[in-house]
Amino acid sequence: MNQLRFYFFHLMPYPYIPPTAEFASTWVSLSNKYYEPQRGRILYNEYIEQLVAAEKYGFDGVGVNEHHANFYGTMPSPNIIAAMLVQRTTHIPIGVIGNAIPLHGNPLRVAEEIAMLDVISGGRMISGFVRGIGCEYFNNGVAPGDSVERFDEAHDLIIKAWTVDGPFTWQGEHFYIPNVNPIPRPIQTPHPPVWIPGQGSLETLQFIAKHHYTYMMVFAPQWFTKMAFDGLREECLRLGYEAPKTMFNAVVPTYVAETDAQAHREAKAHLSWVFNTGLKIPDQLFFPPGYMSTKSFRNFIGALKKGRVKAQAQLTYDEMLKDRYLIVGSPETVKNQLGEYCEDVGAGGILAAGASYGPMPHWMVTKNMQIFSEEIMPAFRDADGKPDHLRHEPLAPRTRAEFAAQHGRPPEPARSLVTGSTQLIDHRVAHVPEIIDASLRGHPGIKLG
Amino acid sequence: MSYVDAIDKVAVPKPARFYTSPQFAHVFGVPMAYRRQGNGEAVVLFHGAGFTRRWIPLYEMLAKSVDFIAPEAPGFGETPLPKWFKNFDDLTILYDQFFETLGVDKIHLIGFSMGGWAASEFAAFYPRRLKSLSLITPVGLRLEDNPGVDIFQLSPVELLDRLFKDKRVMQEFLIDPEDFEEGIHLYSEFSAAARLMWAPRYNLALERRLQRLTCPTLVVGAEDDQLVPNAMSDRFAAVLPNSRLVRIPGTGHEPCLERPRALADVLLSFIAEAAR
Repeated sequence: MNQLRFYFFHLMPYPYIPPTAEFASTWVSLSNKYYEPQRGRILYNEYIEQLVAAEKYGFDGVGVNEHHANFYGTMPSPNIIAAMLVQRTTHIPIGVIGNAIPLHGNPLRVAEEIAMLDVISGGRMISGFVRGIGCEYFNNGVAPGDSVERFDEAHDLIIKAWTVDGPFTWQGEHFYIPNVNPIPRPIQTPHPPVWIPGQGSLETLQFIAKHHYTYMMVFAPQWFTKMAFDGLREECLRLGYEAPKTMFNAVVPTYVAETDAQAHREAKAHLSWVFNTGLKIPDQLFFPPGYMSTKSFRNFIGALKKGRVKAQAQLTYDEMLKDRYLIVGSPETVKNQLGEYCEDVGAGGILAAGASYGPMPHWMVTKNMQIFSEEIMPAFRDADGKPDHLRHEPLAPRTRAEFAAQHGRPPEPARSLVTGSTQLIDHRVAHVPEIIDASLRGHPGIKLG
Repeated sequence: MSYVDAIDKVAVPKPARFYTSPQFAHVFGVPMAYRRQGNGEAVVLFHGAGFTRRWIPLYEMLAKSVDFIAPEAPGFGETPLPKWFKNFDDLTILYDQFFETLGVDKIHLIGFSMGGWAASEFAAFYPRRLKSLSLITPVGLRLEDNPGVDIFQLSPVELLDRLFKDKRVMQEFLIDPEDFEEGIHLYSEFSAAARLMWAPRYNLALERRLQRLTCPTLVVGAEDDQLVPNAMSDRFAAVLPNSRLVRIPGTGHEPCLERPRALADVLLSFIAEAAR
């Protein structure tokens, strides 16, 4: 297994908005009149190109996620993007990290869509679940105070729908479904790997430890990520197991260029945009009432007031670098800092590595990807330089020939009854009268040939 | 699950002005905080989504003439918020049981802002308890094409700015939008308010249900309400049977704090008339 995995994570921002000082929030209140679909078309397709290209560069996976009514991440329906990636890639794992499961009326929709993608992709899906950030709750009728309960219940429902034969009845507090019976079921057993993005709350860590899921620490300073990872390791030990390194992923945007100076020249404006503009959100929109417990809210606002943490929109580029929200520099610098970082926090995967940030031009993203894949990835890989997913056989045959070879030749045919007949039709040969004649001859309802 | 389970206990700050210690009545395992003073007709006021814990001048004025009771709903003031508390139905039943516990039968009910919605719900379910119903800058009906501002999108500074037409009030009550503990407490009270009214911000059934009322009804509107459209009090006055509408000059959304004398006079004369 490689020392470190690299995931190409895309937010799909829309940066053509008024200057940052002219609006209060990039989320909720900034009007969608600034969204020009003509530009959006170019952007979406470029972004999809980048995600598809990640497979050729040798990334360990690609990731997309769900956000609503904002210009920071324009994927209200990440499963749609995932569907395109499924079609345009062959082997790379695809993460929807994640679907905001408390926000939707029927969580089974997510169970169905991820199962569809998992089947079509041959078991390449990673299924992330999130509550959605606070802002998301202004865009629908779900009360922020119900967020945690709905997340827990939607999660339990989806996992049960994937793992227990239907139909069954779901009698929850927030969801009642008389007949749970999603078709298709996912290929991966017992279900696609689950990733939980989080900000280090104890509740999240305990949830992940309990279910043996993979944690994904979103933008945070290194010391905070370490604290959260240590917390998770402790929770796992408390439950009697040692957490494998693959359980720990950190989102650390990473930009690499020919020299340190060149890397900063190229990346600074765009990386700053992600935090200073993309995440410009007033407290009351970030934390709608009930989204956090009063105790957590008190701790958080207290830490802000005391200057222990800083709102992301307030961070300067130098602070982001110093606290290792980001890693930027020459190949040598990035290699060293990534190595130190992952050793220190105990990460097994880095998300948003060598990726696309804010309004960064397409050519610059491609440049970052190429240098990253040629000069950084091999340093953290076995001698062959392969991503881990290429070291094992695909979970499902990709061709009819393989399927037939593995599942019997010819494969079991579909059989059915035609109304009015009592005899089973063999659909493989239903159109060949000389074969089927014997079994159906004389039946008044059917004329063959 | 027992009703006593899962009460989120948080320390409640005491406002610098007009704070008094409440009494508690245990209802379904919830220690309901309330303040009560005076003699005569039982008059109950359901508070809005903030400014709890205070025995404000309006209450003092009312308590000189009536038996005045100001309870605090779950999640507000010093009444804790149990996990099961989700909606106005829970609140309505809790209040009815609260009156049972206090041994109070018939009441004159006053509701302010969100408390106006709560009072309307209560009135629709327990009309026989009411001798009169007064709503002060209430919310809870739908104004088509005029949803007003989203209170949950306002910063504390923006909220206070919209609450008062008369800004001197903030000084009199030592209200400071930057106060840390009060800011946290407001978040917890808004968390309770969001359980009741995040979505939708109205109950369409109220227009039909309120037709049951036979007691006199009063709507007190503001002169210029920057938080809830003035049209909301017009709508309530149009919907309520036997109603009259009074607008108090010089007021925004908070007549209780802005013009307590004028408001007390209006309420007391209406209650006196209804009691006859």
